[in-house]
Amino acid sequence: MLPDETVVRTTLSGVTQAEVSTSTLGVVVRIPADDASSALAALKASSLDFIMLVDLLGTDTGEEVEITYHLRSLTRDEDLYVKCVLPYEGVLHSVWNVYASALLPERETAELFGLTLAGHPNPARLLTVDDTEPLLRRSVAIRTLEEVRDR
Amino acid sequence: MALDKLMGEHSVAFVKSEQLFDWARRNSLWYLAFGIACCAIEGLMHASGPRFDFDRMGVFFRASPRQADVMIVAGTVNRKMAETVKLLYDQMPEPKWVVAMGACASTGGPFREYPNVVLGVDKIVPVDVYIPGCPPRPESVQYGFIQLQEKIKRQSEERSAARRNRR
Amino acid sequence: MTDPRDTVLTHALQAEGTYDSGKAPAGIRRIPRGVDGLATEHLVVNIGPQHPSTHGVLRLVVELDGEEIMNAEVAVGYLHRGIEKLGEHRRYHQLGTLMDRGDYVSGIHGELAAALATEQLLEVEVPAKAQWLRSLMSEINRVASHLVWYGTFGLDCGAMGQFLYAVRDRENLLDILEAVSGQRMMFNYVRPGGVVADLPADAEQKLRTFLRTIDGYLEEHDALLGGNEIFQKRVRGVGAIDRTTALSFGLTGANLRCTGVPYDVRRDKPYAAYEELQFDVPLGSTGDAWDRYLVRMEEMRQAVRMIRQCIDGLPEGDVMAKVPKVLRPPAGEVYACVESPRGELGVHLLSDGSDTPYRFHYRAPSLFAMQVLEEILPGQLLADAIMLIGSVDVVLGEIDR
Repeated sequence: MLPDETVVRTTLSGVTQAEVSTSTLGVVVRIPADDASSALAALKASSLDFIMLVDLLGTDTGEEVEITYHLRSLTRDEDLYVKCVLPYEGVLHSVWNVYASALLPERETAELFGLTLAGHPNPARLLTVDDTEPLLRRSVAIRTLEEVRDR
Repeated sequence: MALDKLMGEHSVAFVKSEQLFDWARRNSLWYLAFGIACCAIEGLMHASGPRFDFDRMGVFFRASPRQADVMIVAGTVNRKMAETVKLLYDQMPEPKWVVAMGACASTGGPFREYPNVVLGVDKIVPVDVYIPGCPPRPESVQYGFIQLQEKIKRQSEERSAARRNRR
Repeated sequence: MTDPRDTVLTHALQAEGTYDSGKAPAGIRRIPRGVDGLATEHLVVNIGPQHPSTHGVLRLVVELDGEEIMNAEVAVGYLHRGIEKLGEHRRYHQLGTLMDRGDYVSGIHGELAAALATEQLLEVEVPAKAQWLRSLMSEINRVASHLVWYGTFGLDCGAMGQFLYAVRDRENLLDILEAVSGQRMMFNYVRPGGVVADLPADAEQKLRTFLRTIDGYLEEHDALLGGNEIFQKRVRGVGAIDRTTALSFGLTGANLRCTGVPYDVRRDKPYAAYEELQFDVPLGSTGDAWDRYLVRMEEMRQAVRMIRQCIDGLPEGDVMAKVPKVLRPPAGEVYACVESPRGELGVHLLSDGSDTPYRFHYRAPSLFAMQVLEEILPGQLLADAIMLIGSVDVVLGEIDR
């Protein structure tokens, strides 16, 4: 179910610049990346009761990396998507003290998109060995047929 | 070697010790319990299960590489796993064999295009038998082991032939 | 007073005639001895990635004080194969093949999540028969997956017999799955628009034969492991997770329901035919490993109940909607989720209007279950740690993607 856009706007009004809209995904809030932690804390503490961070993912839009936080309220059965953008070699500030479920997904997102993780208890790489390129960026190509055939 | 014929007046047989060792090695290939991905469920778990019973071929898993004869590489090997595969192979005592199970271990499989994936485990360790499939059926894995047994037999016969020719 | 063990060591060195007594040769580090003469030092032990009980290539680095864990760190990535990146280079109906290899024990659920996401973008309606077949196959896959969990959980606790019984019953289920989809593991059965084929003629017969005996077998399994006092003593009261921790770590599925939170995607965000099926959602109370065991055993029974309803109530009709051969969903972003045996399995799909997705993200329930291990392992004994990895039921394929 979709949360009430007005309530979301009022919750975030004192905290950050928020653009709230509805798309195929649901209700999407766009905020500046620096305010992610405080915005999520405000949403968690509000009457909307977003108790769980279901998912955290990054998307390479071609110009920057867009981080999506997928929040859910179990009591009201509502989902909210909070998005912010970071430059390519930017710094991802951890939200683990708001939602502990961000711990491993943040490490993974930072590693696969080439971001630096800040404020995290263990900002090391999760999935790949050192010196691996940021594999989920669109600029990193997959192997070609020739490369595979001549293995 | 039909053991039931070794009765009564035929109860003494003469074999070369090497033949005996190779027969023992072929028929008790203990594999390292080392399942990387999906192939481990089919080829290690189901193949050792009650229906496809690997144990009737003498094949059984061992947890430690020091006690294993065969390493079945069941799953995709990527750059992070490659070190571990090589380390485990080095820890296995001779004689040892490697079975590349499934498309991923043979040549990279459905994930061959991803830069993090190693295109087949034969880039890291020498492979004796390749079993195609994604995942191969447990019977395919058992057929692969039968092929490995034939290979070991051939290798021992080739060794004896080479020694005869040298004299 | 010198420690007799020190003297023995010194004697051994003297006997070799290579070293002076009392002077440790370079390279031998004397273990620091504490006040009571016992060697006291935290030992950092590596478990995995090759280990009989790590459910795949999981690596745990634990700091031990004797047998008690002080600190645990999870190291994954040994199976990172690029499911998400390769999803950007596959057509929409091929995403199911990638999902099959993610959570490889419950392929149908992965395929279903990807198909649901694509269908949301396409806004296509799936025929009723396909919905019921999807539920039927999902529940068959759920029992098969829980049998793997049951077998390996017992192995982690040291029991071996139940593993073979679990595999025996799983083989019967895989026969049915193979009869319907053609494959024992990578089914490639659920596609956007419906399912790829109807039930073959002998599938119903096989299912009814299976259903005649499965209830008795499930009772046997429960008695074998759950009725065993040693197992109960090992598992009761160990690894309790409270509601707040479970929710803040993003747990879903049986790991969340064992704490008492009644969230089940099948009931709360129904998909396929679940709105028309009668089923109970088992809940635990204390959140310990015993509750997780009970919840999953009951889920198996409820799944069997749903399989019966699915065969009895299967409607007539097509199994696939009219969708084009090459799917080009309109640009948009969606999130679709299913209740996999491990929890909420979600697919976050972003389409740019072309025939391949722009971004394909796999929300893996095992990743969050893995995180909570770092939280609950400190304070446990090492043997219990191995048991707890089994009790949260992780599959490395979906953690590493």
